[in-house]
Amino acid sequence: MEPKEQSKEKKEKLWFWNWVIASVIFRLVLIYFPKNLNLASRPEVSTPLTSLRRLAEGYWLKQLSMYPYAGSMYHGSPLLLSLLGPLTVKRIEGQPDHLLCSLVFVIADIVNAMLIRATSQNLQMEYTRSLKLLDHVKLSEKPGKIIPSGDIAALVYLWNPFTIVACVGLSTSPIENLAIILSLYGACKRQAPLAAFGWVIATHLSLYPAILIIPMILLLGYGPDTPPRKLFLQRRNVEVGDNPPNDRCEREEVVHRPELPHVFSWRPVIHFLCWTSLWSVYVLVLCGISVKQYGGLWELFKRTYGFMLTVQDLSPNIGVLWYFFAEVFDFFRNFFLIVFHGNILFMMLPLAIRLKHRPCFLAFVYIAISSMLKSYPSVGDSALYLGLLGLFVNELADMQFSFFLFCGYVGVSLLSPVMHNLWIWRGTGNANFYFATAMAYACLQIILVVESVSAMLNHDRTLRKPLTELQDGKN
Amino acid sequence: MRFKMYGSFRCRMVLLLVFLLLDCNFSNCLADTSSEATMHTNNWAVLVCTSRFWFNYRHMANTLSLYRTVKRLGIPDERIILMLADDMACNARNKYPAQVFNNENHKLNLYGDNVEVDYRGYEVTVENFLRVLTGRHENAVPRSKRLLSDEGSHILLYMTGHGGDEFLKFQDSEELQSHDLADAVKQMKEKRRFKELLIMVDTCQAATLFSQLQSPGVLAIGSSMKGENSYSHHLDSDVGVSVVDRFTFYTLGFFERLNMYNNDSLMSLFSSYNPSMLMSTAYYRTDLYQRHLEEVPVTNFFGSVMEMIHTDSAYSLLSRKESFRVEIKMPADKSVPDKKRLMDKPSHLDQIRELNIEDQHGALKRTWSTIQKEMEKVEDVDAFVSYGLVLIVPLLTVSMWLKW
Repeated sequence: MEPKEQSKEKKEKLWFWNWVIASVIFRLVLIYFPKNLNLASRPEVSTPLTSLRRLAEGYWLKQLSMYPYAGSMYHGSPLLLSLLGPLTVKRIEGQPDHLLCSLVFVIADIVNAMLIRATSQNLQMEYTRSLKLLDHVKLSEKPGKIIPSGDIAALVYLWNPFTIVACVGLSTSPIENLAIILSLYGACKRQAPLAAFGWVIATHLSLYPAILIIPMILLLGYGPDTPPRKLFLQRRNVEVGDNPPNDRCEREEVVHRPELPHVFSWRPVIHFLCWTSLWSVYVLVLCGISVKQYGGLWELFKRTYGFMLTVQDLSPNIGVLWYFFAEVFDFFRNFFLIVFHGNILFMMLPLAIRLKHRPCFLAFVYIAISSMLKSYPSVGDSALYLGLLGLFVNELADMQFSFFLFCGYVGVSLLSPVMHNLWIWRGTGNANFYFATAMAYACLQIILVVESVSAMLNHDRTLRKPLTELQDGKN
Repeated sequence: MRFKMYGSFRCRMVLLLVFLLLDCNFSNCLADTSSEATMHTNNWAVLVCTSRFWFNYRHMANTLSLYRTVKRLGIPDERIILMLADDMACNARNKYPAQVFNNENHKLNLYGDNVEVDYRGYEVTVENFLRVLTGRHENAVPRSKRLLSDEGSHILLYMTGHGGDEFLKFQDSEELQSHDLADAVKQMKEKRRFKELLIMVDTCQAATLFSQLQSPGVLAIGSSMKGENSYSHHLDSDVGVSVVDRFTFYTLGFFERLNMYNNDSLMSLFSSYNPSMLMSTAYYRTDLYQRHLEEVPVTNFFGSVMEMIHTDSAYSLLSRKESFRVEIKMPADKSVPDKKRLMDKPSHLDQIRELNIEDQHGALKRTWSTIQKEMEKVEDVDAFVSYGLVLIVPLLTVSMWLKW
């Protein structure tokens, strides 16, 4: 049996790595494609925040000793400018443009996939451990049936057409995704400095990952995803009910059982907060130095975060804000900015309360919501949460409407460029055509979030059923 | 009683006189300051050819040559009103269809597809001309036919055709008289439609046409004085008619060697006219014009050379709130002190901030100010930032390894 299992495992590993290498080769093929694929000019791929062309322009302005944010082209972080800027300028004979940057993005994608896989291994360990803790008869008996969600999630991330397009289309979203996934990984592994670094960089690059502080704190405090606390208490009651603690030894036995995993430990959280402040001071100092000649940090914040929050650029993208803010009256503009951004904020607390035992899933939901409602969404953001969706394959196996969502995503990603072409290039359509696909996309994302959350809660309920049956049986 | 009344009456007269004097001074000052206070912002050209029929080919060629010159030196079509009373280019008698020459060597074709004629044929009437000058049009007249000048405009008014003592003939059927022209210019001045006006007339007895002008800020030059005729320059035996007038020919000769960046003065233009070559006296009138002709470049009227103000800030959606942020940089030679000013600003703000900090004690603010002071001292920004970025990696690995 053993050698068979080992060979089976080896086969599985080989299969996984083959697919990873195939995805890298596919990306390289697309980068070296002889015809110009023109992916970087698609509004779905590159937004004013993620476009590499704008970064190149900002870097060029910087090289001329001008303010890189003059002219309202570049709106990202000055650190990214120092990092990727020199790469945009280097041209190698006979190679496609921006080859070095594309390679950086490919490497970022691979690292993302590996980190997702590592995170899921952690999650899976916790999952099996908590199932064993619950003495769950049904589920813990068939360990083979538990799908290796890590491999699946990593492969889903790598082979998602959205990720490939975002990588080949020279958008900086792989790097933003890297920061977010790094923070999730660090939090799952209880590495406070790494988690803090990832969170600070993610917030610095694009403001919206700031909402991930809640899942971070929950991850560090409670640990990775587990079934709800009630189940453990119920299990304990059932056991206690089973063997009433007559003897001290049995009481000690009860006490010496592996500990309840739901005590909120403050130490990692405080470490995390200290490290966040350290890293943020570091990043702010570096930014301040790079822009000190041009008005300092406040000016920088106005041009980067101010640009994101006040939606100054109304060029079409796959989100829903541009259409609305193109026609809103000036008098109401600030009010509606607050409303739209508040939409993301007011969903945080209820979800946190309901899903506090599953902080990783909570992070996924937050990322999905923010990629839908942020000011300049792109397919790179969807790539992230679709990859993270793969982490919860086991729990979300019974998700409703999964086929509908799949078809919907395929349909929207095919129709959206067509509508854009009809509107802009042929002139036979208008903005409503394109906005219709954007709205359909937002609806699909909403359905995905709602269905995944309800599937997860259903899963928790199914976990509770055998325990309640057991309890009823005892009673 | 009588003495008292007389005394009070005298007092009132004295007061009245004083008031009137002050008023005059005031209005003078206002007039002066108003014309000096407004900035020269744009240049306009109104080029009028008033003759029809094939044998007046040269008047058309005059106007088109000046049109070409004025366009070459920078005035765009939107600011040129071109009035041609007849069509020579597509005339049945033109041996070179769609071509108008002003020289028998046929080097320059003055007609092409970038010639925009605003008033053509029978639209060139005295009424339309006066309407253009005064801006009193019917509602339906399009913008391209209006002189949309403002109080910062310099206008060049060039008229050519057949004229005489105190008149200019339009279309062989009506005439524009000198007091009509003076009246129109007075209306223009009243409505603040120009800052400075240069009237150039190329007809017989041209100087009489602007003899009635009284508005300030007007400069006028005519090709001949009262009693003199203005002559054509030469006959083109191929086309069959005279192709250019002497005054315009020598004017063009002056301008052909210029480009936009020359700053030859009006005085050099006016003194370039040689009475023996012109066979008439080119008379100009400067009594209504305050500035010295040596100081005025010809491009003030014949071209459009604008002073550029360079600013770094971008056009933004919320510009009205950010208007205070606009920094105007003077041309290149003054950019260095500007940069210095920018550099000085932070330290100045820092001083103020320091004072404030000492008032509001806060350890955090003090540390932030020390950090900022250290940041100010950093010279090579790029290297520092890249070192900082590179330093992140070892910091991260060390912190993870130590498991703090």
